[in-house]
Amino acid sequence: MSNLLSVENLTMQFGGLTAIDDLSFDAKNNQITSIIGPNGAGKTTVFNCLTGFYKPTNGQMFLHKEDSKISLRKYTDFKIAYVAKVARTFQNIRLFPAMSVLENLLVAQHNELMVASGYSLFGLLNLKTYRDKEQLAVDKAKYWLDIIGLTHRADDNAGDLPYGDQRKLEIVRAMCIEPRLLCLDEPAAGLNPKESAELNKLLKFIKTEKQTGILLIEHDMSVVMGISDHVVVLNYGKKIFEGTADQTKNSKEVIEAYLGVDE
Amino acid sequence: MEKKDIIQSFKDSLFTGLIALALFGPIVGLRTASKGEGLFITPQWGVVFLLVGLCIVGRFLINLNSARKTEITFFSKFTSKFSAITEDKAKHFAITAILFAVVFPFLPFTDRYFMDVAIMILTYIMLGWGLNIVVGLAGLLDLGYVAFYAVGAYSYALIATTFGWSFWICLPLAGVFAAFFGILLGFPVLRLRGDYLAIVTLGFGEIIRIILINWYEVTNGPDGITGIPRPSFFGLPFKRSPDEGETSFHLFFNLEYSTMHRIIFLYYLILVLALITNYFTLKIRKLPVGRAWEALREDEIACKSLGVNPTNTKLTAFAIGAMFGGFAGSFFATRQAFISPESFTFIESAIIVAIVVLGGMGSQTGVVLASIFLIGITEMFRDLEQYRMIAFGGAMVLIMVFKPKGILANRKPTILMHGDKK
Repeated sequence: MSNLLSVENLTMQFGGLTAIDDLSFDAKNNQITSIIGPNGAGKTTVFNCLTGFYKPTNGQMFLHKEDSKISLRKYTDFKIAYVAKVARTFQNIRLFPAMSVLENLLVAQHNELMVASGYSLFGLLNLKTYRDKEQLAVDKAKYWLDIIGLTHRADDNAGDLPYGDQRKLEIVRAMCIEPRLLCLDEPAAGLNPKESAELNKLLKFIKTEKQTGILLIEHDMSVVMGISDHVVVLNYGKKIFEGTADQTKNSKEVIEAYLGVDE
Repeated sequence: MEKKDIIQSFKDSLFTGLIALALFGPIVGLRTASKGEGLFITPQWGVVFLLVGLCIVGRFLINLNSARKTEITFFSKFTSKFSAITEDKAKHFAITAILFAVVFPFLPFTDRYFMDVAIMILTYIMLGWGLNIVVGLAGLLDLGYVAFYAVGAYSYALIATTFGWSFWICLPLAGVFAAFFGILLGFPVLRLRGDYLAIVTLGFGEIIRIILINWYEVTNGPDGITGIPRPSFFGLPFKRSPDEGETSFHLFFNLEYSTMHRIIFLYYLILVLALITNYFTLKIRKLPVGRAWEALREDEIACKSLGVNPTNTKLTAFAIGAMFGGFAGSFFATRQAFISPESFTFIESAIIVAIVVLGGMGSQTGVVLASIFLIGITEMFRDLEQYRMIAFGGAMVLIMVFKPKGILANRKPTILMHGDKK
């Protein structure tokens, strides 16, 4: 299995506070790498660095592409998704609530559609080339909606969906940009056990069927232990453990970080 | 209803009366009149008490109504029925409205005054549609929209008076200038949202007006620009006696000369311009850029995470919205033949924003209804002179009370997977 992402000596300081301290880890293609840790361990900060919302104080992040590698530090803002193809979801769902489910998935394909519509010119002229491309985008959206079983609600407002469906929609919306790395920030938060199981299925599907590596922040251990190939444990911004799910479960350091040390 | 409620609402309405007294007392009660030499104050307490009494009774009735927890009054019944009709038959409504607008100048009761009001309403509809792109779709609250209207009007006036080019060349140029100013405003406010954006755009509107007043060499300052050329009907001017070697409209078509010809032509001109704005907006809403505008309104951070470039998206919204403002501005200039900074005050921006918001953000039909309602009502009370702004305020309050989300506040998806169910 080839390396997809390598994070090297990542440090992020906010004033005097060190949120991430000299963190290094790798994530592989077609694998689910989980980042876990107690509240405030710096998990979301790692995501924000990776996805260009923060500029790290120090360290490097590389995305490997066949033989070459690109540095994620060079890309900020929307270019992370556009150029580097790193997609993310958010801890508190960020859909476009007043737009329909289908529109949500089409916005994710904005850049291809923009080119296809000749930066709106061909679109205004209603040329066939654009209409065909738009149909392809709709087909892609339908493909993903079929997978999460929401095709019948494609024309409803995204904000009207039940919470669990909104979570799934946010994940497939991120998949519509055809990412090489998908970063999921607590996708199972607020889901009931049945919905968690469906989420596991979806993530396994993405992992095996798509050329995408998944980076996962999660508190729900049934999700983490069920699907992770690799687990990185953070505490106070430092990596305290790295290994498979089973190794993590039995690690003394991890148990101490979560439950405290006996005096 | 309990007795307690009635006493409570009565107290509340007395308090309202107190506020009304404080407001109307000095504003209406003390009237200055100039008799011979100097000013004298004529008190008119009767009117004040009438107004205060109206406020108390009105408030009491509203209180009683809301205490009964029934909000079904005649007005809201009427509006909800009306919006249900327009939503169901949006297409029919639009076609009927356009047909009516087309035959309007030839209806028996249509006279000069009606035409002027209709042209004014259409101008506001066009401005509303232009601003709808910025406020309704992209969600960028722009309180300085009148600046682009002014830029369009002045570019048209200056180009037309300096170079003598025809309306049809100056119109697109004015649009381009306005769009350029739209981008100019867009750059510094890219990072701002909500209240902060509103304040900066408000400032921008004032800056443009103050520049127009003070840049005397170019804009002729507060005196304004006179003698702006009137538009011609494909080269045929609307003149009683055309210049040497020129044929005027009425001679060409063998008609009796009438000033109405020009008015009717202007009416159709603004109608076509407004419909172009509408058609363009409806089209672009369904294109990727239109969807990106709406997505940006919904959640900017999510947009970034999906690779949508927020800078370009916002700037196109500002530029295109400003362009239509510029078109409307050049129409205004050619219609009036005279413009001065007086015409581009903040109140104009406020009226346009009110039309967009009260019409229902993003709703094209809502803009039409709100324009007719707000401008029409204000016009109906023209005899009341300065008090007619009370009618304007009253119309706004009525919409806000009964239709807080705007007259037509539903959004149709730009693309459907399963087709139209109805």
